Amino acid sequence: MTHTEKRILTNKIVMTLSTLSAMVGMTFLFWILGILVINGIDALNWTIFSEAGAPPGYEESGLKHALIGQLMIVGVATFAGVPLGILAGTYLSEYGQQSKLAETIRDISDIMMSAPSIVIGAFVYAIVVAPMGHFSGWAGSVALTIIMLPIILRTTDDMLQLVPSTLREAAFALGAPKYKVIMQVVYRGAKVGILTGVLLGVARVAGETAPLLFTSFNDNFLNTDMNQPMASLTVTMFNYATSPYEDWQKLGWAAAFILSMFILGLNIIARVFLMKKKGK
Amino acid sequence: MATITQILEEKALEVKNFEFTYAGADAPSIKKLDMPIAKNSITALIGPSGCGKTTLLRSFNRIHDLYPGNKYEGEILFKDRNILTPKEDLINLRIKIGMIFQKPTAFPMSIYDNVAYGMRLQGIKNKTELEGRVEKALTDAAIWKEVKDRLKHDANGLSGGQQQRLCIARAIAVEPEVLLFDEPTSALDPISTAGIEELVVELKEKVSIIIVTHNMQQAARVSDYTGFMYLGELIELGRTEEMFVTPREKLTEEYITGKFG
Repeated sequence: MTHTEKRILTNKIVMTLSTLSAMVGMTFLFWILGILVINGIDALNWTIFSEAGAPPGYEESGLKHALIGQLMIVGVATFAGVPLGILAGTYLSEYGQQSKLAETIRDISDIMMSAPSIVIGAFVYAIVVAPMGHFSGWAGSVALTIIMLPIILRTTDDMLQLVPSTLREAAFALGAPKYKVIMQVVYRGAKVGILTGVLLGVARVAGETAPLLFTSFNDNFLNTDMNQPMASLTVTMFNYATSPYEDWQKLGWAAAFILSMFILGLNIIARVFLMKKKGK
Repeated sequence: MATITQILEEKALEVKNFEFTYAGADAPSIKKLDMPIAKNSITALIGPSGCGKTTLLRSFNRIHDLYPGNKYEGEILFKDRNILTPKEDLINLRIKIGMIFQKPTAFPMSIYDNVAYGMRLQGIKNKTELEGRVEKALTDAAIWKEVKDRLKHDANGLSGGQQQRLCIARAIAVEPEVLLFDEPTSALDPISTAGIEELVVELKEKVSIIIVTHNMQQAARVSDYTGFMYLGELIELGRTEEMFVTPREKLTEEYITGKFG
């Protein structure tokens, strides 16, 4: 075998192996999505959105309670986590910069990002649920906020640092005070990136189950009082899917489908934003 | 000691015994520098990379203050006042002493908002006044004809040369007394460069200009005075036509004839 033949052969082997590996990964992804779509669409109907949960065997049984609970818990978490994350990211990039404190915060949030979410659930159980004496929607939002925070903080920090320092200097050179430079020039330059970080952060927490088991727990009926235990799509899906009743299992499929589509949608929107940013 | 030609015009700025040390550096980047800057003239700063010309330029509007730990010593007099004191109002200083950067720095907003930015910072809200001054600034920066039909468009859609002229319009809109140019054409093509050079020459009627350039032909073409810097010191300052023909320092001669640099 000549040197050239050997090179061509090696090339083919490596290409085949990497293509196969990619296909294995893709197969599982499409398998999951396929089963989810087939079973999910089959389980979807109007009563899922119009009716709350009911004991097994009832015709009029749906996921309204879980959808509303999910929106409220994630909504409150977003409302708290987004401004906190963006402000903290702004501190890191614009004020803390390379200082020791800023670098420590960066390290800690990197660690927090990979912390198991169940640990955060247990932590919130100890600081919110235990003192209150009961599970609550608020506690669920606190847990999700803590999970969301490092993601938004770090993307904001990264995106702000991508704004060229000459742009800041140019604004300062016109006599702008620092807060105006940040609000009017730096944020504008980074807005697409920050928005992407927010969407990815929300998408990440929307699929969390473990921290909610410890905090908002569950409720099989419609409840809009954040002070009470609250249903969420994820925990409801877990309960229904593991139940022995066929109609509940069907609702579990529907919950899984709706949740996946929601998160898939958020991810696609985030990616479209990123593509637009790169295309610029 | 530096050879400094007597400046006959009124002085816009005067550097006296100035030293600058970057944060964490052991030795100063600019050493005991004295230099007058003539009013309504163009002073070019030339010298090899690392000679301190940009460092000096960035001291005039104290943009170095954005990064902690940098140290100024000596004096830079602007209207008989030392601007290096800690109590200097940097916002007012930077309104009076504007800056144009190496790469165009159009803000991510419309052409109109870019030019109006500095005026709005000063609290000018009157729409008619803003519109008038935006048009005047864009006209003075020789870009009005090209952009008058798309003032609301994103400034980043302009070409590099247009963006640089937009930045000049933005800087002159606040009516500064001094303009600092930091290699304003190094990122531009020859035609845009010629346009900017022409503009700089026109601007000296209203403002005093200091321009840092790596391009000696540019210094020769546009400036009235040229300062040659080397290793943080001003070697020679003289009238441009004299300095390029009969430099008085050997180092200057070697640099402008391309023996090093």
